[in-house]
Amino acid sequence: MKIMANAKKPLQLMKIFYGLAAIGGLIFITVALIGDPARAWQAYLLNFLFFSAIAQGAVLFSALMHTVKARWSRPLANVAESFAAFFPISIALFVILFLGQQHVFPWLHEDLHGKEMWLNVPFLFGRDLAGLILLYGFGLAFLYHRLYFTLKDLGASGPVGRRLQARWDRRPPDEERMAARATVFGILYLLAFALVLSLVGYDLVMAADPHWFSTLFGAYSFVKAIYIGFGALIVLSALLHMSGNNGYHVEENQFHDIGKLFFAFCLVWADFFYAQFVVIWYGNIPEETAYIIERTMAAPWNKLAWTIFIGCFIAPFLILINRKIKTVPRAMVVICLAVMAGIWLEHYLLLGPAFNHHVHHLPLGWVEIAVAVGFFGLLAAAVTGYFKQFPEIIEVDRLKAEEV
Amino acid sequence: MTTDTISIMGVFPSQRGAADAIDRLRETSWAIERVHSPIPSHEIEEALQPPKSKVGWFTLAGGIFGFFTGFFLAAFTATSWSLIVSGKPVVALVPFFIVGFEFTILFAVFGNVLGLISQARLPHFDTQPLYDERFSGDCFGVLARCPVGEKEKLTRFFEENGAEIKTADK
Repeated sequence: MKIMANAKKPLQLMKIFYGLAAIGGLIFITVALIGDPARAWQAYLLNFLFFSAIAQGAVLFSALMHTVKARWSRPLANVAESFAAFFPISIALFVILFLGQQHVFPWLHEDLHGKEMWLNVPFLFGRDLAGLILLYGFGLAFLYHRLYFTLKDLGASGPVGRRLQARWDRRPPDEERMAARATVFGILYLLAFALVLSLVGYDLVMAADPHWFSTLFGAYSFVKAIYIGFGALIVLSALLHMSGNNGYHVEENQFHDIGKLFFAFCLVWADFFYAQFVVIWYGNIPEETAYIIERTMAAPWNKLAWTIFIGCFIAPFLILINRKIKTVPRAMVVICLAVMAGIWLEHYLLLGPAFNHHVHHLPLGWVEIAVAVGFFGLLAAAVTGYFKQFPEIIEVDRLKAEEV
Repeated sequence: MTTDTISIMGVFPSQRGAADAIDRLRETSWAIERVHSPIPSHEIEEALQPPKSKVGWFTLAGGIFGFFTGFFLAAFTATSWSLIVSGKPVVALVPFFIVGFEFTILFAVFGNVLGLISQARLPHFDTQPLYDERFSGDCFGVLARCPVGEKEKLTRFFEENGAEIKTADK
């Protein structure tokens, strides 16, 4: 009964998130049609990359924990899976990006000196779309097999959950096979994650500056996605944990452990940045250094670069050394949001100079923010929608309490 | 003061027994002087609730010191033996970071070991009074101090908790 009463709350939230998505969408369409289409589409690309990476990275947590047979992370992994609801939206958003190709590929009318084989719009969209479909396919297949065990434990009480349950009741699957398949799809998701996010990183971010390359850039892209994916997972589970409207609960030591993982990926992110940076510094070849100099030494981008480095590495590193802070959900929400904002700016730093040559002020303004708000609305609505379909995941403790 | 009190050692055959006795001792007015254990025991640690270890601070201090030492060492060698390469600065911060990083880890380890040794008050050559060889074998020891008048009571307490008694006058 209480669950039914609480169902109203997500409805209100859904309205707010749909509202945000609609506002962002409207502003984007208006600017794209009658204002500055280049700017609107570049903001779209930036936010597509950022919010897709969050969803992909958060689902990676569940696949990773399942693959290594971790048991400490159960409530966190259940919440992480909710981000998979953004996968179909992400595919649709990528297809829409096709319309803005004139504005998001600065190399379209450049002489590419033989790179045309790789850098041409049909092939690029074809391979990236195939990659994303593969990645999301593995993710959703993994989720399907995991849900069998989750729903068996908790009992299905949402519409989609009940339909799945009915299907499994009609033809009970072989449990061992379900478990084995979940593991296989989990591992495939992990592999596809590394490959597809590398590909997307190379194609949509690195190629914006078509004459520059770094072989580590792909790995850097997916490590970044893990970093913000875990950050988003901490934010969501901490908010659910702190909210009194559900029965979701995370133990202090679980927060501590995910906090440690987040801390570790803070180091890995900085390490991957440095590993690229130091090689380019040593080589000192103009083709390679131009990209770095433009972004870290030349105004107006250098201030942004330092803000990102301090916000995403130095500050979290110094703060997260402390053991206590990792167990305080409220503090972790603030830190993770700050880091995610930093990585959003980092996406902007990587793409911005390629789109805006010779600017004197950071061309960062309300268009980028408005489109970000719209994308946030979509992601949040997708996640809330998932919990509406599977309310038992955040009502575990309450269900148990009612049984008693 | 010391003449008014007496120390009694309870020798426990099991970890659980020792931990339970510590739990109950903490509720009395008797003081726990020392606990011996042949193994690192979380149960006894939980029962004793010792103050937070300070070893972490030694590690941190070692790490910070090491970071700057690494930079300093790299800068010192670079200025002593000049190897001028293309347009690179002699004291170059970007690659020296690696030396700084390695020294952070090395000195953090040193700090950790030093912290452990100093905090555990090692080395310790003479055996402590009432020490029993079984504490390095299969038994746990809890040494408690009580006023002379309560000697019988404390002895009974230990015996009720399943311990063998060891006192100075035996």
